[in-house]
Amino acid sequence: MAVVTAEPQLPDLREAKGWRRTKNRIMTILMVVSFILVIIPLGFVLFTVIAKGASIISWSFLTGGPIASTVAPAGVGGMGPAVLGTIEITALATVMAVPLGILGAVYLNEYGGKNWLAALIGFMSDVMTGVPSIIMGLFIFTIWVLHFGLSGLAGAFALGCLMLPIVIRSSYEMLRLVPNALREGSYALGATKARVTVTVVLPAAIGGIVSGSLLAVARAAGETAPLLFCIGAASEANKNVFSGANTALPSQIFANANQPYVGAQDRGWGAALTLIALCFILMIAARLVTARFARYSR
Amino acid sequence: MSTVARADQATPAGSARALSERRPLGDRGFQVLALACGLLVLVILVLIAVTTSQQASSWFTTEGWKIFANNWNPGANQYGALAFIYGTAITAVIALVMAVPVSLGIALLLTEVVPYRWSRPIVYVIDLLAVVPSVVWGLWGILVFAPWLQHIYTDIASGVKGVPVLDSLFGQPVSGASFFTAGIILAFMITPIVTSLSREVIATVPAIDREGAYALGATRWEMIRGAVLPHSQGGIVGAVLLGLGRAMGETIAVALVIGSSPVITSHLFAPGYNMPAVIANQFGEAFGLSRAALMGIGVLLFVFTIIINVLARGIVERNARRKRGA
Amino acid sequence: MHLRRRRQVTTAGLAVCALALAACSSSSSSSTSSTTSSSSSASSSASSAALSGTLNGSGSTLQLTYQQAAISAFRSVQSGMTVNYGAGGSGKGRTDLASGVVNYAASDSPIPAAQASTFKGTVLYFPDVIAPVTVSYNLSGLSKPLQLSAPVIASIFQAKITTWNNSAIAADNPGVTLPSTPITIAVRSDSSGTTQNFTQFLVDATGDGWTLGTSSTIKWPATARAGNGNGGVASIIKSTPGAVGYVDYSDAKASGLTFANIKNSAGDYVTPSVAGASAAASQVTVKPNLTFSAIWAPGATSYPISAQSYVLVYETQPNANDEAMLKAWVGYLIGAGQQLLPNLGFAPLPSSIQSMAQAQLSKISM
Repeated sequence: MAVVTAEPQLPDLREAKGWRRTKNRIMTILMVVSFILVIIPLGFVLFTVIAKGASIISWSFLTGGPIASTVAPAGVGGMGPAVLGTIEITALATVMAVPLGILGAVYLNEYGGKNWLAALIGFMSDVMTGVPSIIMGLFIFTIWVLHFGLSGLAGAFALGCLMLPIVIRSSYEMLRLVPNALREGSYALGATKARVTVTVVLPAAIGGIVSGSLLAVARAAGETAPLLFCIGAASEANKNVFSGANTALPSQIFANANQPYVGAQDRGWGAALTLIALCFILMIAARLVTARFARYSR
Repeated sequence: MSTVARADQATPAGSARALSERRPLGDRGFQVLALACGLLVLVILVLIAVTTSQQASSWFTTEGWKIFANNWNPGANQYGALAFIYGTAITAVIALVMAVPVSLGIALLLTEVVPYRWSRPIVYVIDLLAVVPSVVWGLWGILVFAPWLQHIYTDIASGVKGVPVLDSLFGQPVSGASFFTAGIILAFMITPIVTSLSREVIATVPAIDREGAYALGATRWEMIRGAVLPHSQGGIVGAVLLGLGRAMGETIAVALVIGSSPVITSHLFAPGYNMPAVIANQFGEAFGLSRAALMGIGVLLFVFTIIINVLARGIVERNARRKRGA
Repeated sequence: MHLRRRRQVTTAGLAVCALALAACSSSSSSSTSSTTSSSSSASSSASSAALSGTLNGSGSTLQLTYQQAAISAFRSVQSGMTVNYGAGGSGKGRTDLASGVVNYAASDSPIPAAQASTFKGTVLYFPDVIAPVTVSYNLSGLSKPLQLSAPVIASIFQAKITTWNNSAIAADNPGVTLPSTPITIAVRSDSSGTTQNFTQFLVDATGDGWTLGTSSTIKWPATARAGNGNGGVASIIKSTPGAVGYVDYSDAKASGLTFANIKNSAGDYVTPSVAGASAAASQVTVKPNLTFSAIWAPGATSYPISAQSYVLVYETQPNANDEAMLKAWVGYLIGAGQQLLPNLGFAPLPSSIQSMAQAQLSKISM
C-alpha cells in the first residue's frame, strides 16, 4: 500500500508578506500625509490671520468708527461700521431665509411625499446650493438695486437667496429623522396636519434645524461676492439696514487686500480675524446645539 | 398637547374625502404657505435665469458666435470671452488634480483607518477648513502666499528652461498671482466638500463586502481597492463633480490671486483670468454692451454650474439607488 | 386653554415685531429725504446752514486719498451730513452716476462718447485736483532714480523691452549699471481714468510709437499683471522685484515706491512733484464745460504726466435737499478742501479754474 498522504495545500492566511504589506503601509502613510497636507495651509492661514490681526484688535477697533482712510496708519478709526453692517445684513437675511427655508422643508417632507413637484423642488434646491454667489449678486442688482438703490436690504436679499437652499436641505434632513411614530400618535389624538407639524415635528427636529441654520448664517456672513454690487460703500455706521449704502466685514477685507499701505493691510487682517472668529463662534454654536439639543441626529 | 374634541366620531370610516372637505382653514392655509415656500426656490431660479439672460441678450445677438473668440477688449468694442472660459477650466482642473487625491485619502483615513475616537478631531479640522471665508483665503493668498510662491515659481522656471514640454507649462513668464496659485487656493477650498461627500458615500459600503475581503486575506489597501472603491465609485465621481462646480464658481479668492490678465496660455505660472473674477472686477464700471457681455459671462457660468450640479446629483442619486437595491 | 394662550402670545408678538419694523424704517428713512428749513438758503458757498442727509459717490482711485481726507474734515463743517465714497475706478463712477445709484462721481477723464447716452441728464464737470502720475518701479541697488523718456516707456509697456538692462533704457541713463532682471508690467484691471491719462501722454509724446490707443481700458500685452485701483498697481510693484507700473503720486509716495524722472516736452527730466503738476496745470486751455488736459504740457518745469480729475454731478437734482448737500460738498472740494491737497501729494486748482468752477456751482438746481 503506497498511500502517500501529501500535505494539503492550504492558503496562507497569515499576515501578508513582502510587497503586499509594503504597499499597504505606503497607502496608509499616503492617507495620513494627505491629512497633513490639509492641516498645513489651514494652520498657515489661521496663524497668519491671528498673528497679524491680533495686534490691531481692540474694543475701539471692533466698535469704533468711522473707517479710516486707506493711507491712515493702523491705530486710526475702527471697523465698527463694518461689524454693524455684517450683523445687520446677516441678521436680516437670516430672518428672511430661515423661516421660508424651514417651511419649504416642511412642504418637502410632510406634504410633498413622493410627488413630482417635491422631487423637483428638492433637486433644484440642491442644485441651487451650487450656483455661484456672484450670480445672486447680479440678480439682485438687476431687479432691486437699479430701481431702489444701494442698501443693506439688497445685500440681505442676495444673502437670503444664498442661504435658502442650504436651510431647506439641512432642515429637510432633520425633519426626515423625526420618527413617524410621533406623527402617528398625534394624528391618533385628532390633531390636524398643521398642528402636528408645528407642535410635534418641528420641536422634535428643532435642534438639528437650528444647528443647520447657524451653519448657513456662518456661510452668509463670510460671503463677499453677493454684496459687491448691492450695498455700495460706507465709512460711517449706517443703523438703517433698509436704505442707504452700507458696508460689511468681507467688503472691507476685499477693499484692503488691494492696498499697498501697511495700515490698510493691518485693518484688513484685523477684519479678517474678526470675521473668522465670528464664523468660528457660529460653527461651535452649531455643534453645541447639535450635541445638546438635537434629539434625533445621524 | 390638548385633546381637541372634534366631530370626527361622526365621520363614517373610510370617507377620507369628507374629512378633507372639512379641514379647518388654518390647516389648509399652512399647507399652502409651505407649498409657496417650497416653490420659492423654483421661482428664484427661474427669475435668475430669465433676468440675467434678458440683460445679456444684446451680447448674444450682437456678437453671435464671436462670444467664443479670444479677443476681450472693451476699449475696441470686442467682447470675446474664450480667455475666461479657458481660465475657469484650467484653474478648476488644477484644483481637482490636487484636491481629489487628498480628499479621497482623508475620507478613506476617516472611514477605514482611524478608530472612531480619533475621527472626531479630524472631522473638526475639516470643518474648520470649510468655515474659513473665501475673502480671507484671498487676503492671505495675495498678501502672503503669492509673494512666497513667486520665488518658488521663478526657481522652477529657471530649472525647466529649455526642457520641451515642461518649459511651456512651467517656464517664464511667472507671477505670484497666476492660474496655478488660484488653482492651489481653490484646491484648499473644495477639499472639505469633496471629503465629506466621499465619506458619506464610502460609509454606505456594506460591512459584508469589507469583511468578506478581509476573510479572504486581503490587506486593508487591497480591501479598499477591491470592495470599497468599486462600490462607491459612482458616488465619488458625483462628489468630484460637485467639487468641480464649486471650483468653477468661486469668485473672490480667485479674483484676488489670479493676476487679471485675459490670455490663453499654456504657462501655468502666468497671470490669467477667469469667468467669475472678471465679473467681480469689471461689472461695476460696465455699461451698455460691456455690461451685457459680463451678464452673458454670468449666464454661461450659471449654465455650466447647473449642468455640472445636475450631473453630479444625478450620478450620486443613481449610485445610491443602485446600491440600496443591490 | 393652554393652546389658545400660546396663539394669543404669538399673534401679539408678531404684531409688536411688525410695528417695531415699521417704526424703524419710517423713522430712519425720513432722515435721508428731510427738507430742513435751510434748504433754499444754502445756495451760495456759505455752508452755515446745517444740512442733514447722506451723499454717495464713487469713481476715481486717483482722487481716493483726497476724497477720504475731505470726508473726514467735512464732518466738522457739516456734522449732520454723511458722505460715502466707494472708489472703484473712474469707469465705475461714471456708470454708477448713469444708473443713478450715486449722487456724484469722481472721474479723471470726461464721459466717452459711447457712454454719453446712458446719462439721465446734463452732467456738470467740476475739476477738483491735479495729480502727477508716476512711473514707479521696484529695482534695488540703483544709485539714483531712473530717467525715462516717453518712447522708452512706450516700448516697455508694449512688452518690446523685456529686461531692465536693455540698451534703450541704458541710453536714457548714462553711467548707471542696470540689472538683468526681467521686467514685469503692472497695469490696471479696472476701467481707469489714470490709464486714460497715462496712455494719452504716450500718444501725445510719441505719436505712432504707441499702438495700443488711449482709453479707460487697454488691451495690454499678455504678460502684464493687472491690479484693482491705483492701490492694486502699487501693491504689485511693491511686492514684485523688477516690476514697473503707473501709479498716482499720492499713492506712490504713501506706499514708499521709487519713481522715475520723466522727460518732458522741453527735453528736461522732471521728478514727479506737486510743483511740477502745478506748472503743467498753469498752461492749460479750459473748454466751456470746464474739462481740460494737463498732459504733456509745455514749460521747462512741467511734469509731463500731470493728470486732472473731476467731480461729476447732474445739473438737475431730484430734490432740494440733494441740491443743497451737493452744493455744500462740491463747494468744499473745490474751495476750503483745497488746502488739504499739498500734504496728500496733489496740486491745487489754479485760481482761474477754481473761480470758474465755483461760479458753476450755482448751475446745480432742482
